[in-house]
Amino acid sequence: MAKGRGADLALNIQNLTAGYPGNVVLHEVSWQVKRGSLAAIIGPNGGGKSTLLKTAVGLLSPFEYTAMELLGRSPKAGRKQVAYLPQQEEVDWTFPISVLDVVLQGRLVRQGIWGRYSKADYTLGREVLDFFGLGKYVNTQVGSLSGGQRQRVFLARAMLQEADLILLDEPSTGLDAKAQHELADLFVTLRKRGKTIVAATHDLNCLTECFDHVLALDGQVLVEGKPEEVLTEANMVKLFARHFPKVGASGEVTVHD
Amino acid sequence: MIDLLLEPFQYGFMVRAFLGTGLVAVVAAAVGTFVVLKRLAFLGDAISHTAFTGIAIALLLGVSIYMGAMALAVLTALGVVFLTRTSRINDDTALAILFTGVFALGIVLLSGTPGFSGDLNSLLLGSVMAIQTREIILIGIAAVVLGLIMAFFYHHFVLVSFDPVGAEAAGFPVAFFQSLLLVVISAAIVISIQAVGVVLVVALLITPAAAASLITHRLEKLILLSSAFGLLASFFGLYISYFFGAPPGATVVLVATVFFGLVLGVQKLRRV
Repeated sequence: MAKGRGADLALNIQNLTAGYPGNVVLHEVSWQVKRGSLAAIIGPNGGGKSTLLKTAVGLLSPFEYTAMELLGRSPKAGRKQVAYLPQQEEVDWTFPISVLDVVLQGRLVRQGIWGRYSKADYTLGREVLDFFGLGKYVNTQVGSLSGGQRQRVFLARAMLQEADLILLDEPSTGLDAKAQHELADLFVTLRKRGKTIVAATHDLNCLTECFDHVLALDGQVLVEGKPEEVLTEANMVKLFARHFPKVGASGEVTVHD
Repeated sequence: MIDLLLEPFQYGFMVRAFLGTGLVAVVAAAVGTFVVLKRLAFLGDAISHTAFTGIAIALLLGVSIYMGAMALAVLTALGVVFLTRTSRINDDTALAILFTGVFALGIVLLSGTPGFSGDLNSLLLGSVMAIQTREIILIGIAAVVLGLIMAFFYHHFVLVSFDPVGAEAAGFPVAFFQSLLLVVISAAIVISIQAVGVVLVVALLITPAAAASLITHRLEKLILLSSAFGLLASFFGLYISYFFGAPPGATVVLVATVFFGLVLGVQKLRRV
């Protein structure tokens, strides 16, 4: 497969307009993420963080765009090397499946319709789980793990998929401070192994220590750059101010959004 | 006592009934595991009812009733996949309107055709005692094919049931395997209709699997246990039918329901 012009880019989106039927969420959004980056998308609820990720991986069809590339390839060609970790509520955690079986799904996703697990896959699956500190949970039902452990299981699955780009939708939701920092450490470890991480998050606490690139999004790109450039008071007021409730003279509460 | 237990087997129709019901009970219960886990019981009920209309149309056209049933069942299943992926319509409501309407059409078609009143009853409640060797062979072949599909694509079905969003994002053919799973469920329903009838067939899918799900949280064990419950229910149900003269479809489902009640009761007692 011939590589596109943006081969050094993990994600290349130009002038993307996207959303749901009858509801345009993103207006002419352009964003580039270099390979090996730790990138975060921040913004208010409804600002299009999830929509951007879902459109990038083909879960939503874009309305318009001038360029859309995953790992320098068309989205269709690049998707096999992309792992998308959906929001917690989009996964059926009651499903009776073991941690090892979830991790092995990374191989299946890569192999496609005729995929079968080999002995080597099982060995690799156990090794990766050990690496992620989950070796003793191999046969545990995945839904019985904590939120942080579930995220690690899915990251382990991404490793077996040999994904180079990992997209996470609100990975820190429901995690305590310790689990959030463990997840951040894991992001750094994965980057050292050549992975690119892009996470949509509402949590601004660990942005400066976890990520090296931030996109502030509220339907359109407000600002992007290094965390210290983006996380200024003026930018945060622009990004979130209209979503703060305001109390009027007679005590009525209004929210602009 | 042994003579009494062996008594039904001196009749060819009872041997065929045991064979036919046992086969479909095992297949339906195994496939039913996914129906229970993905909360598709209502869809199973809808498929069985539209399959009835497929049978009615097949009888009118003079073609195989299995072909007619399968065609309508698969159309229903794939129609649901199409609806859920392309529209924001309330799935349950659309499905209920669709399947009751199609079922009503089947009743009108059959009742308006002279000589079909007896067939209507056997289709609704099953007629396993009238099952022929040719049909047993057909059911056997279908059971083997469905078993092979389930075994070969087991991990694929698990993936699209557990995390369809993550799988689709990575380019895995989720819609294909969701459709294939529904086709397998449809086929299991179609081959089970003769045993227990349109009205009760969904019980053969969900009751053994629901009972098994109370005992184990390992999917492989769940499928095996569900199949075992299905087989035992068909076995004891047919005995009860033979000795008490009750409709076999109803007694099989009744035994499966009793199994579920017993498992539930034991679980409750163990928690006390």
